[in-house]
Amino acid sequence: MKRVITSGLASTVAVVAMLGAACAADAAVTVVGWPGGPEETALRAVVEIYNAKGDVAAEDQVEVIFFSREGFWEKLQADLAAGTDAFDVNLLATYSIGRYAPFMEPIELSDEAEAVFGEAVLSTMQFEGAQYGVPTDLSLHFLYYRTDLIDELLADEAAHERYAEIAQAHLGEALTPKAPDDWTWDDYAATALYFTQAVNPESPTRYGTVLQMRNLLFNMMVWHSLPRSYGGDWMDEDGTITVDSEAYRRGLEVYKMLLDAGATPADSLAYEYAEANAAFSSGQVAAMLQWNAAAGELMDPATAPVTSDVTATVAPPTGPDGRFTHIHGLGFGLNANAANPDGARAFLAWLSTEEAALAYALNSGAPALTPEVVAKVAEERPDLVQLGAYAGAYGFVMRGATSAEALSVYELQAREFTGHWAGTQDLDTALANVEAGMAELLQ
Amino acid sequence: MTAGMSMTQRTEWAVLATPMVAFLLLFLGLPTILNLIYSVSEVRFETLRSPTLTGLQNYAAALSDPAFWRATWFSTRFAVVTATLQCVIGLALAIFLHPLLRERSWAVGILMMPLMVAPALVGLMYRLVLHEFVGPVPHYAYAFLGWSPSFLSGATVFWTLVVIESLQWTPFAFLLFHMAYSAIPAELREAGLVDGAGPFDFLRFVELPLMVPTLVIAFFIRFIDGFRVFDNIFVLVGSGPGGSTASLSIYIYESFFRQGAIGRAVAASVILFITSFAVLWVLTRLAARRKS
Repeated sequence: MKRVITSGLASTVAVVAMLGAACAADAAVTVVGWPGGPEETALRAVVEIYNAKGDVAAEDQVEVIFFSREGFWEKLQADLAAGTDAFDVNLLATYSIGRYAPFMEPIELSDEAEAVFGEAVLSTMQFEGAQYGVPTDLSLHFLYYRTDLIDELLADEAAHERYAEIAQAHLGEALTPKAPDDWTWDDYAATALYFTQAVNPESPTRYGTVLQMRNLLFNMMVWHSLPRSYGGDWMDEDGTITVDSEAYRRGLEVYKMLLDAGATPADSLAYEYAEANAAFSSGQVAAMLQWNAAAGELMDPATAPVTSDVTATVAPPTGPDGRFTHIHGLGFGLNANAANPDGARAFLAWLSTEEAALAYALNSGAPALTPEVVAKVAEERPDLVQLGAYAGAYGFVMRGATSAEALSVYELQAREFTGHWAGTQDLDTALANVEAGMAELLQ
Repeated sequence: MTAGMSMTQRTEWAVLATPMVAFLLLFLGLPTILNLIYSVSEVRFETLRSPTLTGLQNYAAALSDPAFWRATWFSTRFAVVTATLQCVIGLALAIFLHPLLRERSWAVGILMMPLMVAPALVGLMYRLVLHEFVGPVPHYAYAFLGWSPSFLSGATVFWTLVVIESLQWTPFAFLLFHMAYSAIPAELREAGLVDGAGPFDFLRFVELPLMVPTLVIAFFIRFIDGFRVFDNIFVLVGSGPGGSTASLSIYIYESFFRQGAIGRAVAASVILFITSFAVLWVLTRLAARRKS
């Protein structure tokens, strides 16, 4: 018996000693990245470049780790709150900075950073005046549409009458077809209805659009461009919640009308990014609002063989208050409990240089760069030129959307508004619930 | 000498049991104590190590939250419907397939295959299978019937989830019933035949009463599994439009991580624990009474 106990204890001590030795030897800079997409490809590429530099010490070499996307932010939050030192540098997003800032430290960027990214883009990684991250990817929305269908509609005078009838019946106004770059939200809705077989049996597509209506915070971001163009915002300058407004009502009603009319699949209430892409690339959808990140997939013949060569993008439709696209950035910042903070700071400073930004762009990343810098990769990445132009001209962030409770506000709106779209609660109740919840969260 | 041996044995058992006891205290006891503290505290992610005691406010917040009651109702309805369906279908399969499985017991392994898939993977699989444009079910429905069914709309999502849950877990109920049915002595059946009992009478008055304990256990296990359902629903539809598919587990998860309402989430989990324990206690008492 004694022999068994002694052997057990000795084995335990040996295992613990080996683990301790392994940890002690591991002094690299560990980075947690966004997994499974172009962001991972780009991060791996720039890390390889950084590690190959002669002046990067062996103990400051960078290694990358990834969580799964499902519940990524929750896992990151739990790790940060637990005071982990398992990683030195972590991903952060514009809408989550306020929540993670208490567990992170502000950083110093390189001298080139402002010339590379511009002040507006750098501000997507700031919280209460301090820089918490290097902006690596900017996300906004494009209106994706089928050029073949729209061109045919514009050219077919006989179809205009049918189009006007449908617009009159559903929107109260006899509209005429326009080019997508000139669309108002009413034009978008009228076109979506026209290309819906449930409304227009002659339509070549089953649905005019595909809406992402799953109860998910990211879907609120896609939808926000609509109420914003009618003047909607989370709160006014005094901090009063202004969600119960005509702008929000209008935005909610447009989505519900399209769902009820069958202009988007009935299962749209369970749709997000991937489902919408699959619907559009099937060839059965005429137009949709989607993240810019989908451009590569939707315009590549290998991944969208039916529609890639007839798909084009413009900025989202316009409203009475202008044309808007929701923007947010992904970036990298410093864990307050980093085991190797100096190595991490050095890597982050380099990540904000032109060299790193261009390498990131050339390896599938989507950084928003100033016109002078993006011109250097315009040939290889023309989409980045469009990204920068749209961000500058139409980009917006709702007032309060970088606060510590921003994620909770998005979640709240997603829950209440999807409930309205599904018909489980009326519009007034949904707006009242959101106003009450936001007042509690933000004030 | 005997007393000395006992002492040695006791020491050996104590030494051997210590790791397990320490493990239980560390991984079950400590979180339970922390949960109880957090449930009566004002706590955020920033203050996990320094919660402020506030009494029963979190319990009041959970109990006055309409989303909590909506989730409780969803979990209860889902658990009752799925447990009933799985038990009825599982029992029917066990009886109907008994002659076949008596001769070819390897076929049980094939029927068990759905159990081998992780629930989260089931959710992911059905996201593809039911998608209108890439899923085989909507594709063939449209190709042959010209009908594009909606499986995940507000009106249909509950029953879609019930079917998915039942497809995966009916084999578990079936397995229990198959074992219980196979254990009924052949002499009883022969005696029944000699006495002139028809198959339905024999099933109703002999076999089913003998299987009642298994039926109760199977229903109880499936009810608990249905009540605490999380993975497959969360991956397939999340908490659903307006929170319509949020089970209590999803409610607790979202309150904790997404809304940052740690105290309310933990209070809800304590309420769930107490309720589950009460149900278990009542069932145990009923079983004991029946046995006596």
